[in-house]
Amino acid sequence: MAKTSVANNVTRSNRKWIIGYSITGFILFITYQFLIPWEGLPLGVYDAVYRWMPPSAINESLVYVIMALGLNIVVGYAGLLDLGYVAFWAIGGYCAGWFMSEFFYFLNINFFGSVPAEAPGIHINFWMVLLLGGFICAFFGILIGAPTLRLKSDYLALVTLGFGEIIPQVFFNGENFFGYNISNGTKGIVGVDPIPVGVKDLGPFDFGWKLLIFLLLTAIMVFVSLRLRKGRLGRAWLAIREDELAASMMGVPLMRTKLASYAVGAFAGGLGGVAFATHVNGVYAERFNFTISIFLLAMVVLGGMGNVWGVILGAFILSWVNGNGLTAFGQLYNEQFGTEVDFASFTFLLFGLVLILMMLFKREGLLPESRLKLMLHEDELDDEDASASKKKVGK
Amino acid sequence: MANVLEAQNISVQFGGLLAVNNVTFNIPNKSIVSLIGPNGAGKTTFFNVLTGLYKPSAGKIVYGEKEITDLPPHKIAEIGIARTFQNIRLFGLMTAQENLLVAMHSHLKAGITATILRTPKQRKEEREAEAKAQEILDFAGVGKWTHEFARNLSYGDQRRLEVARALALNPKVLLLDEPTAGMNAQESQVFIEFINKLVAERDIAVMLIEHDMKVVMALSQRITVLDQGEKIAEGSPDEIKSNPRVIEAYLGRPKGAKK
Amino acid sequence: MNKGNGVTLAKVVEAKKFSGTPGQIRQQRIERGGAIGISALFAVWMLVNLIKAPEQFAQVAISGLRNGLIYALIALGYTLVYGIIELINFAHGDLFMLSAVFSSFFITYWMGAEESNGYGWFTFGLCLIAVMVFGAVVNVLIERLAYRRLRHAPRLAPLITAVGMSFLLNFIGLKWNGSTPRQWPTVIPSGDIYIGEIRISMITIWLFLVGFPLLLALNYLVTNTKQGKAMRATSQDRDASTLMGINVNKTIAFTFALGGAMAGAAGLLYQQSIGTTSYNLGFQLGLIAFTSAVLGGIGNLWGAVVGGLLIGLIQGLNDGLPFAFGQAWSQSVVFTILIIILVFKPAGLLGKAVTEKV
Repeated sequence: MAKTSVANNVTRSNRKWIIGYSITGFILFITYQFLIPWEGLPLGVYDAVYRWMPPSAINESLVYVIMALGLNIVVGYAGLLDLGYVAFWAIGGYCAGWFMSEFFYFLNINFFGSVPAEAPGIHINFWMVLLLGGFICAFFGILIGAPTLRLKSDYLALVTLGFGEIIPQVFFNGENFFGYNISNGTKGIVGVDPIPVGVKDLGPFDFGWKLLIFLLLTAIMVFVSLRLRKGRLGRAWLAIREDELAASMMGVPLMRTKLASYAVGAFAGGLGGVAFATHVNGVYAERFNFTISIFLLAMVVLGGMGNVWGVILGAFILSWVNGNGLTAFGQLYNEQFGTEVDFASFTFLLFGLVLILMMLFKREGLLPESRLKLMLHEDELDDEDASASKKKVGK
Repeated sequence: MANVLEAQNISVQFGGLLAVNNVTFNIPNKSIVSLIGPNGAGKTTFFNVLTGLYKPSAGKIVYGEKEITDLPPHKIAEIGIARTFQNIRLFGLMTAQENLLVAMHSHLKAGITATILRTPKQRKEEREAEAKAQEILDFAGVGKWTHEFARNLSYGDQRRLEVARALALNPKVLLLDEPTAGMNAQESQVFIEFINKLVAERDIAVMLIEHDMKVVMALSQRITVLDQGEKIAEGSPDEIKSNPRVIEAYLGRPKGAKK
Repeated sequence: MNKGNGVTLAKVVEAKKFSGTPGQIRQQRIERGGAIGISALFAVWMLVNLIKAPEQFAQVAISGLRNGLIYALIALGYTLVYGIIELINFAHGDLFMLSAVFSSFFITYWMGAEESNGYGWFTFGLCLIAVMVFGAVVNVLIERLAYRRLRHAPRLAPLITAVGMSFLLNFIGLKWNGSTPRQWPTVIPSGDIYIGEIRISMITIWLFLVGFPLLLALNYLVTNTKQGKAMRATSQDRDASTLMGINVNKTIAFTFALGGAMAGAAGLLYQQSIGTTSYNLGFQLGLIAFTSAVLGGIGNLWGAVVGGLLIGLIQGLNDGLPFAFGQAWSQSVVFTILIIILVFKPAGLLGKAVTEKV
């Protein structure tokens, strides 16, 4: 018999998470900014850290976390299978490339930018570009969603896949897009402006300080997710996820609500895209491909669809494994056994297995959201159990 | 007496099959009416047209003064036409309270920014909504299950919760699809009293599709009979009970009798 | 009309012309307008190119149709599986890729056939059988190990599993074929025949000679055999089929086997005609093939064929003609078609729209 539950994990998390999160973040920051570079640190520790978890890896993981949280709203809350999320990441990235670099060298617009006013190109303040990128992505989310969200789940998955291919391809071929250069094509946009934080401008190697900023962005996404979930939009999403037809007959406007999930999810993609552009100091077209969308999906699935903390965990684990972990593990293995196995190439195997095995054996994810566990195992509800619960006489 | 909902000359065609053939059906204000008929008569199809789930192939639906034939289901729910389902379609993974709050979605106002920032207005709105939900849950007799997942409720309580959820829409018309299916005699009696109390205390009309004749006869002020997609009789319970066409529809003709 | 005990049959009337609600009428007008508009644009585009460069047109049309044949074979697998269990088997394209790799190893390494001679053609025939068995077996295994358990699970689960399976097969392809594309010799005779100015290569002829009988054989299997009838019954109503004594598990396995065999054949044809294999072949062609299935009407076998040929044609025209987007936009063109169909006419050209009963 299913567990009863009074409060879901949302209400419990509400205020207290900020404290725990801030403490963890602070510790991480102190470690990477001050402890690791300290001369007194034993060399072995320094090497181990740089092999297994260099600061760049954490920052990159956080970008994935931000996007996974965005995808979580679409897939986890509203139950819409989106296989083309990479499109939003790309758009976010190019927003950074357009508004924070010398790409438009023939213009000279500087709005609180972090470079001298005479510098060619458009240079808008990073924080504004974040918002700009987010909203532009949200706009595209609505644009993509409007004609397609009424399709049923498999078709929707395919259409999102299509968009996830078309948009990156537009940027890939963007050097000559009906005569205009919108992306420098495969050459990419090299060099974005540093991040201004009042006293300092953070460049691509200021990993420690950037860590704080990325942590902040992640916190914003967590905050937004939890708040929305508790309010009427979150309830509407959960209702749609469970029974779309009943939801609409209870007054929930399906299209509008689904579009809202797309828009908010896409916004996160924009944030992630801009952040990532500052991380790699540029925007490179080959980076944006379909596999990223699946990676993000795997992160949401692994963590537990709908559960913010599970998704963070899943995103961290998988992005780390994909980025740093596999190679580091491979090095270790090869050194130990004298082999030459290319572990990094096992990414596909890993992600494929994660998706398959999770669906077969632990559909609700590592940190399941209590109701999700019930829903995804509906088919296994014992016949006896079902009829027993039905025969119970009311009071 | 004015009609709160009017279905005029409704026909529904699926491919070559005429499921509903030119049926006119009106629900007067503050009344209790029933729609009965043998299986396959088209009752549920017609019911789905009333609630906006299917669009009729011909005919129109008028609510108060407004024609609502083309409105999408969520809009129809929003303006005050609420329904329950033949197979219970509660949001099993949401609590009883949340089920009702979802039904209040269209009447709440908080937008994305207000929700994220938890403005005083939004918090007040949520508090009031929860209070109202509790009141309806109490009225329906499931007040003690407020924070219980809907799927954990007993069958009878789930039925009650479905009605409560429909009431959360603040409807003028309540459409119930086989509400007493699976209930025993005692539960059906409780249900009859509940509906009578509902119509007496609120400005609401109730329409039922039902197979349990005792319930139909006890509750209905007027009964409409469908057979093979057509309306074959309409009248008070006594008139319907003795209507030969109705009897024929349910039981068939005795052998050898002339048509 | 007969009346049973309380169970009546509703009247079946000659289709009276019901136009529907004003909203529905408006919607239908928009859809029809859109369809006409798009078809008109398409026709104009074809005409312009035909007038400006007729030989080129015919040339790319033929090569496009040839690709379309391969798409059709792959599309059949998608449509068969979707028709019977309503699942988009994302891994199907990668099965095609593995079949291509299989064929390359079979013909070139294991049988050592590198030229177009008697031995080569014999090897081709042998490989055709072998690769179809390979495709069938792998597909049935996938269904048995991964999809069967999730048959009654909520929609999201099997979809995600299929995506994961696609990645898995991709990995196998990566290890088997290597990360870079590989070239292979072909046993299909080289040489061309000429119709006027238009060159038709022997490869094209060979492909059609092999492909068409396959399609006909599949059609025969599905329409005339007991298993085929079981398939069609199961796809319409699984529970009723069980009640009629149909072994649903076996039937679904049979369907996967057929689809896998088609993918296998497609893999061989591709490998021997284009001559390259790469591990991400499946993703590119898989999506194109699925678009074909959707264009033709998902669940409809002839739809898959028509859709495949049509998409091949369009793609060939787009890549090769002067007034077109060019090869760089090939994927985007196909996906745009997919999106347009799914949004305006999800039933496709030959399919039927189905309404959900509450």
